[in-house]
Amino acid sequence: MFRAKLPPWLVLLLPAFIIILAVVAIPLILSLYSSFTPYHLTRPDTLWKWTGSFNYIKAASDANFWKAFGRTVLLLTIALNTEMLLGLGLALMVSKVTRGQRALRTAMMFPMMFSPILVGFQFKFIFNDNVGLVNNALQSLGLTDVAIPWLVDGNLAMFAIIFAEVWTSTSVFAILILAGLFAIPQDPLEAAKVDGCTPWQSFRFVTLPFLMPFIYIAMAIRSLDVARAYDIVQVMTNGGPARRTELLWTLIGRTGYVDARMGYANAMGYIAILMSIGFTIYFFLKLQTARRELGMGEM
Amino acid sequence: MASATQHRIKKRALKTAHFLGLFLAMSLICIPGLWVVLNSFRPTIEIMAKPPVWMPQSLSLDHYRAMFGGAGEGGIPVMTYFRNSLIISITSTVIALLVGMAGGYAFARYSFKAKGMMFVALMASRAVPGVALSLPLFIIFGRTGIIDTHFGLILVYVAMNVPFTIWLIDGFFRQVPKELAEAAEIDGCTRWQAFWKVEFPVARSGIASAGIFAFLTSWNEYALASQLTRSTTSKTMPVGLLDFTSQFTLNWGGMCALAVLMIIPALLLTFVVQKHLIAGLTFGGVKG
Amino acid sequence: MKGRVASSVLALAAGLGFATAALADGEYAGVTIEAKLIGGQQYEALYARIADWEKATGAKVNIISQKNHFELDKEYKADIAAGTTSWCVGSNHSSFAPQYPDLFTDLTPLVPAESVAGFVPANITAATINGKLTMLPRAQFDVSALYYQKSLYADPAKAEAFKTKFGYDLAVPETWDQFRDQAEFFAAPPNFYGTQYAGKDEAINGRFYELVVANGGKMFNDDMSPAFNSAAGKEALQWFVDLYKAGAVPPGTTNYLWDDLGNGFASGTIALNLDWPGWSGFFNDPAASKVAGNVGVAPAPKGSAGVRTGWSGFHGFSVTEGCATKEAAASLVDFLTNEDSQKLESAAGPLPSRTAVWAYVKDQAKADPYKTEVLAAFEETAKTAFPVPPTPYWIESGNLIFPELQAAILGDKTVDQALQDASDAVDSLMKENGVY
Repeated sequence: MFRAKLPPWLVLLLPAFIIILAVVAIPLILSLYSSFTPYHLTRPDTLWKWTGSFNYIKAASDANFWKAFGRTVLLLTIALNTEMLLGLGLALMVSKVTRGQRALRTAMMFPMMFSPILVGFQFKFIFNDNVGLVNNALQSLGLTDVAIPWLVDGNLAMFAIIFAEVWTSTSVFAILILAGLFAIPQDPLEAAKVDGCTPWQSFRFVTLPFLMPFIYIAMAIRSLDVARAYDIVQVMTNGGPARRTELLWTLIGRTGYVDARMGYANAMGYIAILMSIGFTIYFFLKLQTARRELGMGEM
Repeated sequence: MASATQHRIKKRALKTAHFLGLFLAMSLICIPGLWVVLNSFRPTIEIMAKPPVWMPQSLSLDHYRAMFGGAGEGGIPVMTYFRNSLIISITSTVIALLVGMAGGYAFARYSFKAKGMMFVALMASRAVPGVALSLPLFIIFGRTGIIDTHFGLILVYVAMNVPFTIWLIDGFFRQVPKELAEAAEIDGCTRWQAFWKVEFPVARSGIASAGIFAFLTSWNEYALASQLTRSTTSKTMPVGLLDFTSQFTLNWGGMCALAVLMIIPALLLTFVVQKHLIAGLTFGGVKG
Repeated sequence: MKGRVASSVLALAAGLGFATAALADGEYAGVTIEAKLIGGQQYEALYARIADWEKATGAKVNIISQKNHFELDKEYKADIAAGTTSWCVGSNHSSFAPQYPDLFTDLTPLVPAESVAGFVPANITAATINGKLTMLPRAQFDVSALYYQKSLYADPAKAEAFKTKFGYDLAVPETWDQFRDQAEFFAAPPNFYGTQYAGKDEAINGRFYELVVANGGKMFNDDMSPAFNSAAGKEALQWFVDLYKAGAVPPGTTNYLWDDLGNGFASGTIALNLDWPGWSGFFNDPAASKVAGNVGVAPAPKGSAGVRTGWSGFHGFSVTEGCATKEAAASLVDFLTNEDSQKLESAAGPLPSRTAVWAYVKDQAKADPYKTEVLAAFEETAKTAFPVPPTPYWIESGNLIFPELQAAILGDKTVDQALQDASDAVDSLMKENGVY
């Protein structure tokens, strides 16, 4: 039989590869091709016009594109690191709780129940300058008597978006790190205690190295997933005002669907994909190193 | 003596700080969410009031009543959306877990050529933004006639979730010492039996958390669903949220009511799966 | 009075008789029409009438998509790309329609001429693209009029203070310059603002467009090259900048879309609000709005050229070129936009697009002074209303223009610089697409 000839690992991996080929790889080839054409959605015949690297050159020489690119990298860096630190803190605090931990853990995951599109609407209302929750609270408490334009000011708008993103995703880090905390073998920790290590030392030299693989897994998963923030940003500011919060995804989404310039959008999309893959490979290498240090097997 | 008192004070201070920190963190996590829940019971005039109304004056089920009402009275086909969401999310989660377990096991237990490359390629597939995928997918789905069907969305969500289930489950399988499984095999178990008796229970926490993540991803996904669904035959709840918007208006109270209906099942499921998570997590201590 | 009621009942009965006569029994038995209809609560009441049409003709209607117009627009574009355009009836909007000139068929040969003649002529003109009647308008005509808080004009102290400051009497503004003066005068941030405008996406673009026209300018020359970088354009943009700088609008206004405007005015924190007819009921509903009972409605003010602003649009239904049963589809479109359908739909507040239904709606509102005021204001504004420029690049160029407008409003660029940049960007878009 043919099946018997395949090595077991391949048999195990085959379903995953087939599905990903069908849903991701084939569409990607299509969009790669279209990125070399002036493909316009409402003029299907433009798909057959080859323009070479025109779209890529156009994107690369567009200042707005690079600003959006820079802003996206900035958002990714700030959001991922903040989420990681907050998630670590949260997981440590929750792990110390002895009673009612199950309820607490469920509560901790509460933001994960919110669809990104809902989060967008929610924070759009929370940060509304006139009738929003935040300004109302600040004004009622007498902390300010002006309406702070949360979604308009360049820095505040990025802050509001990052806040919304961090709010939804810190739980992901927290729950993964918590799982790691529970999986830590107790012996080294006890040995450290016996050796007279301070709590900080045993955290720094025993707990943290053990958690690192979990942290990198979470980082990598999030760096892949963070494009979902598109829904949030699109609803909250849609890249505006005056391109102050323009990210690659909002720019691509608008160019592709509203302007219908799919060829150009796909060219920009490919640059965005390469960036995401770069982030992923970075964390993957980190993960490998962390695993090697712990002797958890090579890749 | 003095040092003992000092120690006690320090301990108490730490405990208070812990409590305060936890309280603050939980408030930040819960308040924006609970605000949505609260709004679903308040009339629009009170939500948008200026000066703000902090103490809710009138709570009612009006938004819920309107949502379940007939077309034209503010009703939307909630139950249909709910059923679609449930079918799509559960099926895709189960499939993603099975595929992910197989893949995760392969990566954790076998060594083969270009393993690292393959792993990265698999992960990279998740890095593709939905915006770049949605149009080609739409065209392919349109030609093959699986647009606006449960099957189409299930397929997409499985593909979305597989890389990350593999990754997570691989990590947990890796924590199960190889020796444990080998010992079982020596005891006369087949590899298959060894897997179910030894490795699966230990990796169960990983599978449970991968399951939660996959379910929540499918349950909440909007960008692709908004492209690949069209009518009530397959529209999911996140897409249904947009029913509360029209050209010029947005019914925030109504949207909150639907949001609450989306959150409750997800919350219940998470709470239930927590039990397995705990059971699995205690096994984590086996290592060492 | 009695006589008038009786005659309108007669007219209604006559209308019904006409409608049933036009649909021969079982004419389209066995035909199934696939339809993509705009979803959303205020649009769906009309769809209950589809069952009547099915009964009369024997055909079946299968609604295969229900979304709002922005989503529907994306779906149509994707449909064109995928070649999946064999469905028959689609919701359409006058502002989106020029983008897909080949998707929808010409309705002129398919619909009785007397039916088309019953529409407001300007609407039929706007629905005609490249000589093709691409859609029949439903009772969802949109143009913006001025909503204001009446109490502000009843306060003698305010009136006197205003006169001292500006040298003329405080009255509901008739020009956009008066509007600006008053908005700045009424503003008391952060709890009360003179006005607000939708500063996001195509919204600010539309508002800018109508003000350019009101100031005597235009967006495009006849060859579609940009024409808004003109004196009229600068004056229009300066108007937005002035209000923002003076603090007369909420500081978040550049991120507002229509829903924010409606909720803002209903919260009682806005004095003057240029807004759509769909909100009129909401604003005067005590359960939804704090200003209920205090709402005045006036026609849109005029720009420096003496022209009223009047950026308008309407929803309609179209039949695709790829539809196999065009007659049946057109019959459905005709049915959903006939007098009875428009009467049903406009009873809930939206403005009709048929001349006879305008008369009917006004008659129905006789006993309700607020409704009468609303209708009068919108009817006056509708008289001089104008649609978006008929170019397939309207939306695309809008996406290039609005960030520059926002940049000027927020002070990132000067008015001159912003308009120059926007004009250059639109120019290169047109050139790239070979328009000229």
